[in-house]
Amino acid sequence: MNNSSSSTMHGPDQPEISGPAPAPKSLRTKMGKPEDSEKKIFHKKLKDVEISVPIVYGNIAFWLGKKANEYQSHKWTVYVRGATNEDLGVVIKRAVFQLHSSFNNPTRVVESPPFELSECGWGEFEIAITLFFHSDVCDKPLNLFHHLKLYPADESGPMSTKKPVVVESYDEIVFPEPSEAFLARVQNQPAVVVPRLPAGVALPPPVPVEDPSNRKRGDTKDHPLCQWFTNFSEADELLRLATARQQVQTHIAKFRREITLIEGQHQQVNSVSDQ
Amino acid sequence: MDAKDILGLSKTSHPASQEKKSRTVKESQRKPDGISREVYALIGGVPPLMPAVEPLQLKKRPPTDEKITWQWLPFTSSARKDNLQLFHWVRVVNGVPPMGDYSFAKYNKSVDVVKYTDEEYEKHLTDDMWTKEETDQLFELCQQFDLRFIVIADRFPSSRTVEELKERYYKVSRSILIARAAASPGDVSEHPIVKEPYKFTQERDRKRALSMVLSQTKHQERKDSEVLAEAKRIAESRMAARNAKESELPITFNVERAIVPGETLSPSSNSEFPSAMVAPSTSMAENTSTLASLRMLRVYLRTYALDQMIQAASSSAGLRTIKRVEQSLQELGVNLKPRVPTKSVCAQHLELRKEILTLLNLQKQLQYKEAEGSSYRDSPYETPGTPKDRTFVPESTSFGGERVGKRDQKRKAPGRAEAPSSPAQPKRPRKLRASDM
Repeated sequence: MNNSSSSTMHGPDQPEISGPAPAPKSLRTKMGKPEDSEKKIFHKKLKDVEISVPIVYGNIAFWLGKKANEYQSHKWTVYVRGATNEDLGVVIKRAVFQLHSSFNNPTRVVESPPFELSECGWGEFEIAITLFFHSDVCDKPLNLFHHLKLYPADESGPMSTKKPVVVESYDEIVFPEPSEAFLARVQNQPAVVVPRLPAGVALPPPVPVEDPSNRKRGDTKDHPLCQWFTNFSEADELLRLATARQQVQTHIAKFRREITLIEGQHQQVNSVSDQ
Repeated sequence: MDAKDILGLSKTSHPASQEKKSRTVKESQRKPDGISREVYALIGGVPPLMPAVEPLQLKKRPPTDEKITWQWLPFTSSARKDNLQLFHWVRVVNGVPPMGDYSFAKYNKSVDVVKYTDEEYEKHLTDDMWTKEETDQLFELCQQFDLRFIVIADRFPSSRTVEELKERYYKVSRSILIARAAASPGDVSEHPIVKEPYKFTQERDRKRALSMVLSQTKHQERKDSEVLAEAKRIAESRMAARNAKESELPITFNVERAIVPGETLSPSSNSEFPSAMVAPSTSMAENTSTLASLRMLRVYLRTYALDQMIQAASSSAGLRTIKRVEQSLQELGVNLKPRVPTKSVCAQHLELRKEILTLLNLQKQLQYKEAEGSSYRDSPYETPGTPKDRTFVPESTSFGGERVGKRDQKRKAPGRAEAPSSPAQPKRPRKLRASDM
């Protein structure tokens, strides 16, 4: 990221190179001190590694049709899910949805995945979603804001009870300096994007997770609403960005050529007029 | 009534009876006795609600069955030590003169000035600066003048400042008290003289400062207040800056966490953070300081990070330039905010923005160069080339890609001898248009 050339970016696998001056690695990642207690190792933070969790958050709203009354015309669900529908419970401990004050108990806490909330209502408003992480992940919560959408963008079409209004936003939660315990725990979790670790960094083996079949499924792969989920793919955007950059670079080169040409001309004129 | 006369209106019926009524009413109104009519009208024209105090009552004398006489009698005062007998008028009630001490004797208060014996002097109180005679004199004066040091200083035979006298007096008293307390049982530490000793230098400086303040000219006073206000403002801004810094810096020095990473973190972060506060000049510095501040957050959203980086990159650019960048992005068919902000997408987006900025700068540079070029030549500049060449046909998809060939032909080659067709610069640099390419 330090150099502006694009060659250093290879995708999410690239560990983020941090800091202005390349500090000696030994200072940064204090690894391999066998005399340290396990607890201490687990609380250390790795500086050249960033963990990102791609999420999608938004709402799906169904018009209630005949069953709609003045105050409850839509049934909507607001949620935070993994971008690939994986279980976010490995990272997120609980999610708090702050609704409009006209709702009963506007602060809704969801303690386990899937992190979603369903309600009936008639109005659109901003929902503040606060994500609390597990203690080894991060002790600071993160805030998201989503504007609840019930009514379709084009008002011409009739509202159908079958086709919902879906508004989703893609984003990624970034942990720039994850603790080793966190890293160890989520190494093999599909919901989390863990980059290639820099050479010389060895992680302790992951703490064995409880049998997944015992726990309630937290992923949204078979969610009842999963048919409406948007599939976010970066390929299209990458392509467009690459094309755009190409064009801009061409023009830059052209301008530079023109400028040097003109400067050459000026010099000629100058030397002519001096005589 | 008068109005009606003026208007010539006929009076209503029963004018006679009305007049009578008004007259009687007026009579009753003229009733007050003791005060004139106007004054009576002032206070409302009606009798007062409260009965006034009768002047007769004011000088009532107490109904005494006592017989009061005044007699010229002698008296003594306990305040006097010489048993002088003076005379004064005494109010005698029923032949009995008042008892008791002279009523003003209780006001004869005096200070308990310590009295030391010669032995005590030899033992505790000798001092290089003070002879015994001087000390004795001092104490005598203190006794006489009730510790009024200004007067004592004036009366003192040798010239000593008030502070010196005070110091000597208090030192002596203190030593005596302590010495006596040591000898006999008793706690003197609560005595004010012992508890708070007299500080000579402090007093001297304090008085000097006071006199300086008193003798300040108005000009000086104004200057001082200005300086103080300035200092207050600076202190407050420093406090605000420090608070902002502290609130941004999350507390990484958690006791439970290992100290080591915290230590390695803090020097780098402390050095980087001030740079984050001050506008960095180079883009590299901006990048790293934004990175550092992001790392401080411990968790953040990718979109937030992208916004911060964009802001950092465009910190040197004006608002108009930023708008032009956004317009170019739209023309290139790129979302202003990436729809799928993954790490690589964000990186590419940022790089694209930076490149557009470079492009705009280059375009501006080129225009200036061309303008210079025209000023070098003495020939009057030609009218700008047909604006049609450079008019913009908005196309959302192609960034003028397919028209490149055509444009090259129509556009005047920069190497030609004629003045290029953009000497008449509009004051604002033209927006980057697709057809410019």
